Amino acid sequence: MSFVSKLQMSAAAGALVAAFAVSPAAAERARFEFWYGLTGDLGERVQETCKRFNDSQQEFEAVCVGQGGYPNAVQNAIAAYRAGKQPTIVQVYDGGTLDLMLSGAYVPARKLMADNGYEVKWDDYFSGIANYYATAKGELLSFPYNSSTAMLYWNRDAFAKIGRDKAPATWEEVEEVARELKKAGYECPLGFNFDTWQILEQFSAIHGEPIATKNNGYDGLDAEVVFNKTKFVDHVKFFKRMADEGVFTVRTKEAGMDIVPSFASGACQMIQTSIADHGTIGKTAAADMKWDVAMLPVWNGTERKNSLVGGASLWVLAGKSEPEYKGAAAFLKFIGTPESAEWWSTVTGYIPVTNSGFEAMKAKGFYDKAPYKGRELAIESLTFTPTTPITRGIRLGGFMQIRKEVTDALQGIFAGKVGVEEALNEAAERSNAVLRRFEKTYAGKSLL
Amino acid sequence: MIERTPIFNAVTYAIMIGGLLVVLLPVWMAFTAATQTVEAVNRIPFSFALGDELLTNLGAAWQRGDFGTKLANSFILAAGVTLGKVMIAALSAFSIVYFNYRLRMIFFWVIFVTLMLPLEVRIVPTYAVAANALAPLQAILDVTGISALIAVLSGVEVSLQWNLLNSYVGLILPLVATATGTFLYRQFFMTVPDELAEAAKMDGAGAFRFFVEILMPLSRTNMLALATIMFVYAWNQYLWPLLVTTDRGTYGTAIIELKQMVPNPYGGLPDWNVAMAAALIVMLPPVVVVALMQRWFVRGLIATEK
Amino acid sequence: MEKRAVFRAGSLAYLLILPQLLLVFVFFYWPTGAALYWAFTLEMPWGGGNQWVGLENFTAVLKDGKYWSSVVASCVFAFAATALALAQALVLALFVDRQLRGSRGFRSFYVWPYAVAAPAVSLAFRFIFAPETGLVAFVNQWWPGLWNPSINGAQAMALVVLCFAWKWIGYNFIFLLAALQSIPRALMEASAMDGAGPLRRMLDIQLPLLTPTFFFLLVINLTESFVGPDSFGIVDILTEGGPANATNLLVYKIYSDGFKGLDYSGAAAQSIILMLLVMVLTFIQFRWVERRVHYK
Repeated sequence: MSFVSKLQMSAAAGALVAAFAVSPAAAERARFEFWYGLTGDLGERVQETCKRFNDSQQEFEAVCVGQGGYPNAVQNAIAAYRAGKQPTIVQVYDGGTLDLMLSGAYVPARKLMADNGYEVKWDDYFSGIANYYATAKGELLSFPYNSSTAMLYWNRDAFAKIGRDKAPATWEEVEEVARELKKAGYECPLGFNFDTWQILEQFSAIHGEPIATKNNGYDGLDAEVVFNKTKFVDHVKFFKRMADEGVFTVRTKEAGMDIVPSFASGACQMIQTSIADHGTIGKTAAADMKWDVAMLPVWNGTERKNSLVGGASLWVLAGKSEPEYKGAAAFLKFIGTPESAEWWSTVTGYIPVTNSGFEAMKAKGFYDKAPYKGRELAIESLTFTPTTPITRGIRLGGFMQIRKEVTDALQGIFAGKVGVEEALNEAAERSNAVLRRFEKTYAGKSLL
Repeated sequence: MIERTPIFNAVTYAIMIGGLLVVLLPVWMAFTAATQTVEAVNRIPFSFALGDELLTNLGAAWQRGDFGTKLANSFILAAGVTLGKVMIAALSAFSIVYFNYRLRMIFFWVIFVTLMLPLEVRIVPTYAVAANALAPLQAILDVTGISALIAVLSGVEVSLQWNLLNSYVGLILPLVATATGTFLYRQFFMTVPDELAEAAKMDGAGAFRFFVEILMPLSRTNMLALATIMFVYAWNQYLWPLLVTTDRGTYGTAIIELKQMVPNPYGGLPDWNVAMAAALIVMLPPVVVVALMQRWFVRGLIATEK
Repeated sequence: MEKRAVFRAGSLAYLLILPQLLLVFVFFYWPTGAALYWAFTLEMPWGGGNQWVGLENFTAVLKDGKYWSSVVASCVFAFAATALALAQALVLALFVDRQLRGSRGFRSFYVWPYAVAAPAVSLAFRFIFAPETGLVAFVNQWWPGLWNPSINGAQAMALVVLCFAWKWIGYNFIFLLAALQSIPRALMEASAMDGAGPLRRMLDIQLPLLTPTFFFLLVINLTESFVGPDSFGIVDILTEGGPANATNLLVYKIYSDGFKGLDYSGAAAQSIILMLLVMVLTFIQFRWVERRVHYK
């Protein structure tokens, strides 16, 4: 026997409003919640996705709730999960992946689909994308969603002025081109910021350099960072030298001119940024400006490897009801269809995550003309080689804090306050402290 | 005052105009951005000239933010917090200042300390309380053995539930629970001459009558100032409403929508023009409220001879 | 400070304060207690257990050199921002209160800043103070590289201080104006009759009578700049704690370690230290500064 005293002070008012909001037909559908972190224009696109899904069938209703940013989405999902009010699906960015993986608070992607009778060709996902969210053995745990990788953007008009019509493939060439551009009067031949994603993470992947031991952390929580002992150190020294000579220029949003608007407005002639910015630059650059993308340069003599995926994936949380999981599975199936992939790539700058999606779009001529031409290079970059143990991704605890340590170090270096080696050694030492703390928090747990 | 001070008056105007520029510059900048196209707003250098897209952007923002409902919700939230706070804070400050009991200073500090830990730090456990506001009581009952006692005596298992998620009560109550108001009233009550209370006592008026008939009318301007600030404070609340409302269509607030329109930092169209248009829409109601409240700020109506 | 005339404490006193205490208990102390418990453990963010580590989280924080530089940054920020915000608002309130023709028009604008949402303010400040393209870009034309808050830590600090102070002009202004307006007109008139000019009256009559409000604002401004949501909102958008930690305020560090980095235990330990710091500061203000406040 149970005595429950319910104080629902707002129940009457709530019911009244609800009566207007929900039509009878919709009420019969099985509802499930999806919390996402994307904001702005991209948040709108997520809402459209939900609407497309809800219009496509009668059985389920996705209730999509924007959380106002990636960190908020994770944070709120944690708070809700601990109070037993979690959504069925949540969008989690790379920084939150490992905590969730170790938590057991989720339903693995394969299990969800198998339980609900969907067959998914898991090897259809690009391995460079799938492995980022998979166990060391390659079993995908969450659903890759908004995915991108970093590219080199270059201004064709400026290059033409110095008699070039090709993007530089090596950093040696970049230096040459940048110096020529500088001589030709351009103030910012290459603009960069202190985001570690391009300069550390993507750089290390395509050069086959580790960021941490234990295969970038995939093989154990006792990994240690090694970025202070790899090619990355020389790369930063190179950037520092170029910046001191005024050939490369710092362009941060803190200074009111981040790299993307700097490139789009023609102020900078080369930048490294996400393929997701391709659409943005297309829409914000002057109509007559000619520009293009290329794979990130490598140092001469490097055997290029695949680049890393960026973005976020969708996790299905544990502790929900059968109908909610059914709905979630249907939704995830829906966004995995080639039609959805194409629509998503059309309205955002993100890339398709499966081979079949990409092939279907290619076959339809999606990449043949502007404004989408060039985006196929992102797939080429992601799939340049099969993933190696250190180009699968980065699996480090407290990764957001580690990124901040490296960013701090870079800021110190480019302000001329500390030497490159000294700063990176300190960042590595501090990062290792973060890792040890994380390891201790999850003592007794091990990676799958 | 009836006196001629032309130089000092000129200084006064110079300072007021200077202040106006300082205050308006960033707002002007937001306004300019809201009148431009997405290309123009992303151009470097930023152009401080007006564009002609204001209505388009306002329309886009209104439609994307569903501001009809959202502004109404924000209004309910802000009005609720303002009312609750102005009243509850006055009562608690009255208790602390005008009664002599040992716990008063402790109570004051207990209330005051709540200013010192931001919500971000305690967000996870606070959410748990919002999911069941009676959880603390339940825990106390459990720990003290009262619930076990009830279970033994009556065979009823006590399980208290009061879910505040997705409700106006849940939006409002936690925001009322802070210290600013109590502190402000305390500061004001301290300035009220002791003679007033003494006279009231001599007239045989009880504490409560003194509070209602003398103290409250005296506090009017301060109360208005507090109400104005609390309205704006509640209006601009973000994290808490974001957390307790998942039924955004019904309970979402305007600020949530505004933040949702801030362009994603990692890719996506940087349509700051629409975001700024939304900022203008969201900013307008508190500005109007402030302007209206000010009409009641009139000097000299209160004759507090000191 | 105690009042001479008080009422007999009976159940009424407790009854009056009860609603506030209840709210504070349920929505502040109860959850805070849970969060603070984490400071002595290592807490897994998604639940699933924690282990008691005693004071380890505290020693880790206190041994960290960067933490101490955050302490310094927080203090610089709080005192500078408070001083600036209060000074601006005080000057404006005193002059608006002269009630010259048109001052009513001015005063409604001065409250605006508090009503503007943080992203809009921060974006505006970012553009206005952009080193090469903003309104202050001209200084770099005279002297290239003079102003660049994205590289120069002290300038970044100046920028966040300015932004915070701007946002709090409105808050301070409205309370100061309210206080000024509850000063009896007769008092001012009497003084004018005695031949005191407007500036004299400000210094001799208005300022002393403002001290209770000023004290209130001082405490609130300092507290808010140390632990308030505006502080980390502004830092988050303008500088993200950089460059090289120069603006990594304690409250922002807690936010980025706990909220972004999911290190709940570390964030909880830092919160306790910050709370103690602010409490000591507040206590000092009540003990020493309040003595100079003229309540009557």
